[in-house]
Amino acid sequence: MNLLLLVLLAAQVTPELKQAVEAGLKAKQSGDLKTAAVEFRKVVQLAPTLAAAHVNLGSVYFEMQDYATALPSLQKALELNPTLAGAELMLGTAQLSLGYAADAIPHFEKTQTIDLLGIALAEAGRDREAVDRLEAALSDRPNDPDLLYYLGHAHMRLAKQSLDQVAGDSARGSQLRAEANVAAGRRVEAVKDYAAALAKRVSLRGVHLALGGLALESGDVETAAKEFAEEFRLAPGSAIAALRYGSMLLTKGESAAGLKTLRRADELRPEMPETLLELGKAEAAAGDPARAEKAWLKVVELEPESGLAETAHFQLAQFYRRLKRSADAERERNLFQELKARRGK
Amino acid sequence: MRLRLTIGLWVVCAAQSLSISEPFAFVHRNSPTPQKYLLETMGGGVALLDYNNDGRLDVFFVNGGKPAADFGRRDPAFWNRLFRQNADGSFADVTAAAGLDKSPNAYGMGVATGDFDNDGWIDLYVTGFGANALYRNNGKGGFEEITTAATAVGGWSASAGFFDYDNDGRLDLFVTRYLDWNLDKNILCGTPFNAYCKPDRFPATTNVLLHNQGSGRFRDVSVASGIAKVRGKGLGVAFQDYAADGFTDVFVANDGMEQHLFRNRGDGTFAEAALDAGVAFADDGKPFAGMGVAFDDYDNDGKPDIAVTNLALEKYALFRNEGGGAFRYASATSGLAGVSARSSGWGVKFADFDNDGWKDLFVAQSHVLDNVEKIHSGLRYLEPMALYRNRSGKFEREDLGVPVAARGAAFGDLNNDGAMDVVVSVLGGNPVVLMGKAPSKNSWLIVRGAAQGSRIEAGGVTGYASTAGSYLSASDSRVHLGLGVRDTVDVTVTAPGGRKQVLRSVKTNRILELR
Repeated sequence: MNLLLLVLLAAQVTPELKQAVEAGLKAKQSGDLKTAAVEFRKVVQLAPTLAAAHVNLGSVYFEMQDYATALPSLQKALELNPTLAGAELMLGTAQLSLGYAADAIPHFEKTQTIDLLGIALAEAGRDREAVDRLEAALSDRPNDPDLLYYLGHAHMRLAKQSLDQVAGDSARGSQLRAEANVAAGRRVEAVKDYAAALAKRVSLRGVHLALGGLALESGDVETAAKEFAEEFRLAPGSAIAALRYGSMLLTKGESAAGLKTLRRADELRPEMPETLLELGKAEAAAGDPARAEKAWLKVVELEPESGLAETAHFQLAQFYRRLKRSADAERERNLFQELKARRGK
Repeated sequence: MRLRLTIGLWVVCAAQSLSISEPFAFVHRNSPTPQKYLLETMGGGVALLDYNNDGRLDVFFVNGGKPAADFGRRDPAFWNRLFRQNADGSFADVTAAAGLDKSPNAYGMGVATGDFDNDGWIDLYVTGFGANALYRNNGKGGFEEITTAATAVGGWSASAGFFDYDNDGRLDLFVTRYLDWNLDKNILCGTPFNAYCKPDRFPATTNVLLHNQGSGRFRDVSVASGIAKVRGKGLGVAFQDYAADGFTDVFVANDGMEQHLFRNRGDGTFAEAALDAGVAFADDGKPFAGMGVAFDDYDNDGKPDIAVTNLALEKYALFRNEGGGAFRYASATSGLAGVSARSSGWGVKFADFDNDGWKDLFVAQSHVLDNVEKIHSGLRYLEPMALYRNRSGKFEREDLGVPVAARGAAFGDLNNDGAMDVVVSVLGGNPVVLMGKAPSKNSWLIVRGAAQGSRIEAGGVTGYASTAGSYLSASDSRVHLGLGVRDTVDVTVTAPGGRKQVLRSVKTNRILELR
């Protein structure tokens, strides 16, 4: 039963107040929040010292997501009765929604609302405390996108703070700034920061891979190939570097070198679908249909519903068509079209 | 008005194999608006044709218009323009004298050329958004508009081309249509600033096939022929007999969806066969933004291959004809993918610019979005044109001139010196002329008078007689062949239907007239 109604039942009230309370509650129950707000405002005017009246008015505006109007009612309610947990939670949430994260923190602490507390702490820049709360909240809801987002951001800022404090001018510092620029879509700045990182440490792994990726996003295959080659030279055990470099060699028409590099990528990390897809193309170009077929069939087996499988079915259909294996070609063509349709939905 | 090629603004780079100028007093007017009507960025057809049979190529430009009810085409600034080439290489604007000053009530897009009435004088077909127009060449230096309900087509037409699909000796007409769109259906795309919408925001539509009934009459056979069975977003069209069965087939470059290859069954009907033939998608099975198309033999195996221009990051699609009605994606193995990935292309043709016996690939380039830099800082709106040089089947890139918003491109030998030349339309700007400078040691042959759709083989090089292809444009009806170092060649001409004509020991470096 509504708190306000309980209070009224226990007290001597005027018929006018009782009527307003009942009308307000009825309107709220039926979803007519505008009428509910009008009636509860009457209640507040008739009984200004009644905390429950202010809570009800505030809760109506809260439900309407009019947080700015809800705030004074909720604050007044807590002033009159500091033990109202519901008002506390609504007030904190309203403040957080309006961007007053620091003001919201004590309300979430009082109500032990750990997820919102973590978010408020993160928004207030108290990242170390935020990480603890957010990780605790995630133990209950491991896939909550809001919690993951705030946790990721808090970690990122903490990492940056550490690097700024300890090694702001270091190669890693430049690399981290470059990555932040990539994330923000500032490509030119990112390239400059990556270059600065390399100027400080020529053997820094990961930078050439990133520079190659940026070049590729602009269609600059030549630069991408050079960067990936350099990454592969620095990190000959990196399957990703081998895959990227091999793929660029194929794109440039250097099929034999591409095949060799992609086979190496496959050795370094077997059964990586992206590598297998490219490897199939390279094997086909080199005239080894059995190996090409094996690679593409493995892609389909490993990731049957992915975009890579869609491409693999397409490649297989073309491949069987060239080999005059009509039934196989038709089957793969149908699988390609079916998967394409499913993925397009 | 007389304009000499030699007094235009020359932007010649000694290292480049084509010298570049802007000799025409013509400005393509696309009338860009804040509403970002998609047609504003799509236009710019151009044709090279010898309309007065004086042996010199003349130039026809399609103008845009205003995106409004009457498109503003009565204003001379929005007229299409015909420039006649004079004996000294200068050009004269003969638009009004030729009767082409009454542009149709349409926003202009493209142009097709062909002698549809077999009177020996090349005719014109102009496409646009709103209506198309058919002009018959009267043989007296002028054109007469003879548009009917069938040839007006309606909707948004893009590239068109004449070809003889039923081998009856009369040129039929294929018209691509882009989108089911009109000014009222326009929507604003992009945040926080407006950008031209992707084609996936609008429904696809059907292409149109018009059968030549004779006496200047065309009949719409789109449904009966099966052409209207599939809907597309057609921008480019080219014709060849890819299956070598004696009947000419049709390739349509579609924007943002699978490409279409209409296989001619030889009975007046077509079957869409792109997926089976291996030309529907890139090698990853993904669609791309097909715009212009070239359909010719780049690897000298005697079979016509297909190149389709598209948007930056997609890589121009090259499909090698492997015979038996099948193609293989060859962008990567030919090196074209690596050198084209950062560019967006429109007008395109395989043509041998250095006469070494290998056809190069010329592409008129520019992104479709005039504010692409705001969306992707790694891409550019204006781009230089590019010649992708064919080195025995592998392509190397050579950029040509300053960056422009190039669209249509028409190809032919303007000064009859044996080197291929190009006229490129520039969106909202002056057209560009690129004059070829082939090495003198290499030989060439230009074949005049072959029926459209004929296959011409000389010295291991194969060419095809077709004015269609490229983007919104029509090229010289003569066939140019680069032959390497040769004094004489045997020439075999195979007409549609299979009739062969063999000419022995033909001297090179000349224009060969077929009779």
